[in-house]
Amino acid sequence: MSRLVKKSPSLCTDLPLDNTGICNSLHLLRQLLRSCIGPTGRLKQVHNNIGGHVITTSTSSVLLPAISSSQPFINLIKTSILNHVSRFSDCGLFAAILCLSLIEQAKQSGLRGNVATSVNKHLLGLCTSYLQQQDCGCKVKLDFCSSQSLITLARSIISSKPACVLTEREALHISKLAVQAFLLTVPCNSPGIVSLGKIVTVSVEGHSVLNSAVFPGLLVDMPDVFCLNKVENLHSNPMRMVLFSASLAGDLSDLGGIIEVHPGVDTDSQILDQLLKLGQQVVKDEVKLFICQKVIHPVLQQYLRSHGIMVIERLGITLMEPLTQLTGSQPVATLHTTIPAKAYGKVRDLSIKQFGSKTMLHLQPPGDSAICTMILCHRNETMLSELKVVCQKTEHVLRLTLREPSALLGGGCTETHLAAYVRHKSMDKVTETVSVLGCSQTEYLRGVEGFCRSLESLAAALEHDGGNSLMDLTHAHHWSHPADVMEERMEDSSGFCGCGLVESSTNQKWTYLNTKYPQFSPAPLFRVPTVQPRVLDSFTAKLNALQVAVETANLALDVRYVIQDMN
Amino acid sequence: MLPMEHLHLEHVLQTVCVLESVVLRSFGPEGGQVLFTRDTGQAMLSRSGTRILTALRLEHPLARMVVECVLKHSTVTGDGSKTFILLLASLLRMIQKTACKEPNVSHTYNSRETAEASTARHLADKMLAFALEELDDIIAMGVVPYGCCLSWEDFTAKTQLPTCPINHCVQKLLASFFHSRLGRTHCDFISNLTCEMLTHWKFKSDLPSSLLQFVNDNFSALHTPVSGFPISCSRLIEGQVIHRDFATPCPQADHQPVKAVVVTGCLQPKLLSAGEVLVLGSGEQGREENSRKESSIVQFTAWAERSLECVIAKLQSLGVSVLLSAVKQSAAVLALAAQADMCIVECVSEDELSLFAQLSGATPVSDCWMIEPEHVAALTFCRPILLGAHRYVHVAFHDSEERITVKPCSLVICGPGEGQTDQYACAFQDAIRMLLSTWEPIDITATTASKKTLQPNKSTCLHVDNQIVKASPFQQCVLEPGCVIPAGGTFEFLLNHALLQHGSSCSISDDTIMGAPAVSQLFANALLSVPRNIYFYSLRRFLQTQTRLLSFIQNHSHPFSHVYKQEHNTIVVQGRGKSECPLEEGKLINHCCGETDVSSQVFMSDSGLESVSCKYQLLVAVLQCVSSLLHVDTVLHTHTALHTPSRRLADISWEGTEDEAED
Repeated sequence: MSRLVKKSPSLCTDLPLDNTGICNSLHLLRQLLRSCIGPTGRLKQVHNNIGGHVITTSTSSVLLPAISSSQPFINLIKTSILNHVSRFSDCGLFAAILCLSLIEQAKQSGLRGNVATSVNKHLLGLCTSYLQQQDCGCKVKLDFCSSQSLITLARSIISSKPACVLTEREALHISKLAVQAFLLTVPCNSPGIVSLGKIVTVSVEGHSVLNSAVFPGLLVDMPDVFCLNKVENLHSNPMRMVLFSASLAGDLSDLGGIIEVHPGVDTDSQILDQLLKLGQQVVKDEVKLFICQKVIHPVLQQYLRSHGIMVIERLGITLMEPLTQLTGSQPVATLHTTIPAKAYGKVRDLSIKQFGSKTMLHLQPPGDSAICTMILCHRNETMLSELKVVCQKTEHVLRLTLREPSALLGGGCTETHLAAYVRHKSMDKVTETVSVLGCSQTEYLRGVEGFCRSLESLAAALEHDGGNSLMDLTHAHHWSHPADVMEERMEDSSGFCGCGLVESSTNQKWTYLNTKYPQFSPAPLFRVPTVQPRVLDSFTAKLNALQVAVETANLALDVRYVIQDMN
Repeated sequence: MLPMEHLHLEHVLQTVCVLESVVLRSFGPEGGQVLFTRDTGQAMLSRSGTRILTALRLEHPLARMVVECVLKHSTVTGDGSKTFILLLASLLRMIQKTACKEPNVSHTYNSRETAEASTARHLADKMLAFALEELDDIIAMGVVPYGCCLSWEDFTAKTQLPTCPINHCVQKLLASFFHSRLGRTHCDFISNLTCEMLTHWKFKSDLPSSLLQFVNDNFSALHTPVSGFPISCSRLIEGQVIHRDFATPCPQADHQPVKAVVVTGCLQPKLLSAGEVLVLGSGEQGREENSRKESSIVQFTAWAERSLECVIAKLQSLGVSVLLSAVKQSAAVLALAAQADMCIVECVSEDELSLFAQLSGATPVSDCWMIEPEHVAALTFCRPILLGAHRYVHVAFHDSEERITVKPCSLVICGPGEGQTDQYACAFQDAIRMLLSTWEPIDITATTASKKTLQPNKSTCLHVDNQIVKASPFQQCVLEPGCVIPAGGTFEFLLNHALLQHGSSCSISDDTIMGAPAVSQLFANALLSVPRNIYFYSLRRFLQTQTRLLSFIQNHSHPFSHVYKQEHNTIVVQGRGKSECPLEEGKLINHCCGETDVSSQVFMSDSGLESVSCKYQLLVAVLQCVSSLLHVDTVLHTHTALHTPSRRLADISWEGTEDEAED
C-alpha cells in the first residue's frame, strides 16, 4: 500500500459557540463532571468496546482521558485541565466545571466575546489578589507543629474520592499513613538545598485497608525464598552492600565491530571467569548484600550465596535511585576494575516482611534517610488502583504545602466566600473599571453576575442528594441541608457549615445559592483555637485551578472559527 | 487529453474571497481565535494567519499558490499574513471592477473574458511596476513624517527610565503585534516580557539587528514551554536551561565555580570501528591476538575500561564536575563519573550546545584525550530545575570581562495546554522577526545599499554616506531603521491620501485607465479595505478616524513637510557627525525625527504602533502575488499513479529515507 495518501481538506465551522450541537456537548460534559465532584459524588464506570478492563472512578485524572470526543472544544478544555492535574494533582474537577460554567454563563448573558473575557480576567485578578492577602477570610495558615491540619488536608482529598470505598475509620487511617509517609520523606538535618526523598508504593490486593502500613527504608521483592534461612544470621549491623547497574549475565559488551570467534575459543567461560573474579573481590571485601539492576549469571549467584551473601537481581531502574540514596552506594558498571571502596553502601538491618502472597526484603537505612515504602492494601483491584492514585495525589498536595504553608476552607465555603467577596468588591470604582475594560456598566454587571454564579454553582455541585445549598449572609460560608428539612426549621437543624468553622445560630440569615441577595462584605471569622476546620483544600492547587479555568474559558470564548483536520 | 480548467478573473477572486472570509474572523483588535485540530487529534488555538491558512489543507491550486506567497512573506517579516489576504482580495476586487467596466475593446481578443483578463493583467503589472519604482518615495513623503523612529535605547527604557513616555515605542509596537496575535488580555504582559528579555540581552552586541538576529537564531534553545500553568507564570530565568535531565545523581557540591566540559563524542573508546572484524582464535591463527599473544575477549573489554578511567582521571585533574554530552554515554561512563563526583547530561541538542559554547566561551571537545583548559567552562551554578513535568538542567555563566553587562537569560513560557504554549512561543519568535525587519528594512533600490556597510568610525565611508543621504533623502528615509506609525489603519489612511495626491499631481494628460493616476487611485482605494475591516463593527468609527486623520494632514501637511525636508537632512548629517565620536557609536540609529513627537501625540492616543517597513514589504509582496495570480490562465490536472517510480523520485525529498528502506 502506498503511503502517499492525498490530504483531504479540513472541515470548518464558523462561530462555533453559536452552534447548538457544540453547546449541547459542552453542557453534557458539565453535567457529567458535576455529578462526580465531592465526597458524595457519583462514580463512573469506564469500559471500552472490546471488553477491556472496567475502571470505576470519579477522579478527573482518570475520567478525563477516557472521554474522547471528536469535538475540538472538548479536547481543548480536556488538555488544559489534564495539564493542571498533572502539575498540581488536585482540583481538576473544580477547574473543569468552573471553566465550563463560565463559558455557559457568558453565552447566556449574551455578552460580546471580548467583553466577557476582559471582565472575567479582571475578576480573576480580584480573586487571586484577595486569596494572596494575609487577611483573606477563606485561607488558613497550616501549622507544622501539629500534624492535625495536615491530616485534615489529606483526609479531605482522600474522602473526596468515593471510588476508593473507604469507611470513616479507613479514610482516617490512610490519611494518617499519607502524612506519616510525607513526613518521612522530609530530611531532618541536611543544610543547604533540601531535596525531598521518595515514597515507594507497593500495592497488595485482597487485604483489609487497615493493614496498610508505612515503613522507613525500602521493601524489595524476594521471589526466591530458599535463602530465607540465611537472613537470621545477617544482623552484623551495619552491613556492607554493593549495587551493580551493568548486566552480570555474562553477555559480551558491545565493542563496535564484528567479532569472529574461532572454534576452540570459549568466550563465555572467559567472561564468566572475569565475573567470578569480581565475586572474589566482593567476598574479600566482606559484602553481605549484592544487588544488580539487571540479570546475574546463575553461577555467580551460586558462588555468592555459598559465601553467605544475599543476592537480589532484576531490581529494575525505578528502584535504583532510591536505593542509592538509602544506602549511600554508587552503582558499579565496570567489570574489570576493582570496585572502589566508596562505591560500597551500607544497610543497617535486613528482615523479611510478608504481605499476602508477597515476600519482601526490608532494607533499613544506616542513618537518616528520606526514603520510605508505603504498603497499600485493599479488597479488590479497582479500589486498590484508585486508592494508589489518591495516595500519590495526597503526597503531591502535601508537598505543595512546603512551598506555601496555607490551605483553603473546603466544603464549598471558599467558593461562596469568594463569590460574595467578588460581588462586593466589584462594586468599588465601577466607572473607572468600566472605562478600563471598554464596556458599558450593564455589560460589566452581567459579567460579574455570571462569574459569581459560576463560583456558587461549584459549591452547589457538592450536594448530590437533592438537598438545598445555602449561604449565610454574615460570613458567606456554604451550608447544605438535606431535602427533607423544612425551611422554617433550618435554624434548629444544628450543625456546621461546609468547612466546619461556623456553627449555626439563631440570628443567622441564609439565602439559597443562585438567588439574588443584597451584596455585602463577608465578615472575617473570629477564630476560636479549639474549633478546627474539618475540610481543607490545597491552596496552591486551587489557586492555579482557578486561574487555569478562567484562562481556558477565555480562550474558548475567544474562538471564532474551527478548522478540523480530517486526515 | 488532460482535464483543463480555464481560470477566469471571477474564479481567482472567488478563491481569494473564501480565504478572506476565514481570515476575517481573527483579524484586527476585535478578532478572535481559530481553534483547529491537527491530524493527530491535538487541539490547537491560533490567531496567526499562516497557521490558519496551512491548517485549511487547501486543494485548489490557486489557493495553494496564495498560501505559499503568504508563507514566504511572513517567514521574512513574521507579520502581516492576514492583512496580506485582505489586501489581495481587495485589490483583485478593484481590478475586476475596472476591467469589467472598461475591457480593452480591441478586436484581437475573441471574447469579452479574455479581454477582461488581459486588462486585469496589465493593471496588475502596472501596479507592481509603480510600487517598485515609486511607492517608497510616496511612503517616505506621505507616511513617514507622521510616524516616529524607535531608538535603540527604547529597549532598556522600561527598567531604566520608567517615566519617560517616548521610550515606550518598542513596547507599544510589540503590544499591538501581540494584540493581533494573542488577543487583548495578555498582550501587555507578553510585550513587557519581550522587552525585558531584549534588555537583558542588550549588550550582547552593539547593533540591535545583530541582537535580534541572535535571539531569533537561538530561540529554540532560549525558551522552555511549560504547560499546566496560567500564562502569568511565564518569566525570565537567569542563565540557560538545557532541556535534558542529569543522567547521574545531580551535583551536591557548593563550590564555585562549577567547571563544565562539552563533549560531542563517546567517552568510552570503541575498540572497533564499524565494519572491522575482531578475530578471536586459539593458538597462532589470529592476527590481532598474535601481536599481543592473547586469545581472550576479556582483555579487550578491560582495555576499553582502563582507557575510560584515564579519561575520567584527566577530567578530574582539571576540576571538571559537569559533562554535557551530545550523545548517549555507556553505563560504565555513568558509573565511573558518578564515582568521580561528576555529573553527566546526555543527548543535549546541538542548538543548546552551540548556545552554551557561545555563552561560556568554551569550545566543545570531541576527543577527551585532547582536552585542554580552554575547553573548560566556568559556571556559577549547575543545578536541576523543575519546569512543569520535566526536570531540566539549569546553568548560569560566570561574568567574563568582555560581556560584563550581558545577563544571559532564558524564557519560560507557561500556558494551560501545549497548544497554547506553542502559540505563545510562535508569536514570540514572530515578534522578534517583526522587530528585525523593522530594524533592517530590505533594500529594494540600489542606491541605499551602501548604507548597511557603513562603519561609524570609518571616515571615508562616512563621507560617501553623507553624500547619498543628501542626494536622496527620502529614499533613505523609508529604509531608515526602526520607523513606526500608529496602528489602527493610520498607515493605510495616510498612504491612501498620499497616493490620491500623487495621482492628481501626475501628468493630467495620461488619463486612460492604464495611466499612472488611475493606477495609484485604484491602489489607494484597495488599501482602505484594511481599516474598513478593523472598524467592521461600526462604519461611523471608520469615517471618524479617517476624517480626523485627514483634517490633521490638512492642517499640518505643507509647512510640516518642508520643515521635515530641511530638518531631516540636518538631523541625518548630525547623526553621522556624532557617530564619528567612538563613544557615541550606539546613538547612530538614535535620532528620532524631532518634530514627529508633535504628530505622534495627536493620534497615538489609544492605538499601538506598527512597523512601516513591514507594511511596505507587505504591499510589494501582495502586488507581486496579484500579478503572478493573474498571469495564470489555465490549470492542467495531471494524473499520476501513486506507484510509478518517477513520482516516487519526485517526492523523495519529503518522503524521507523510509521509502528507500522499503524499496
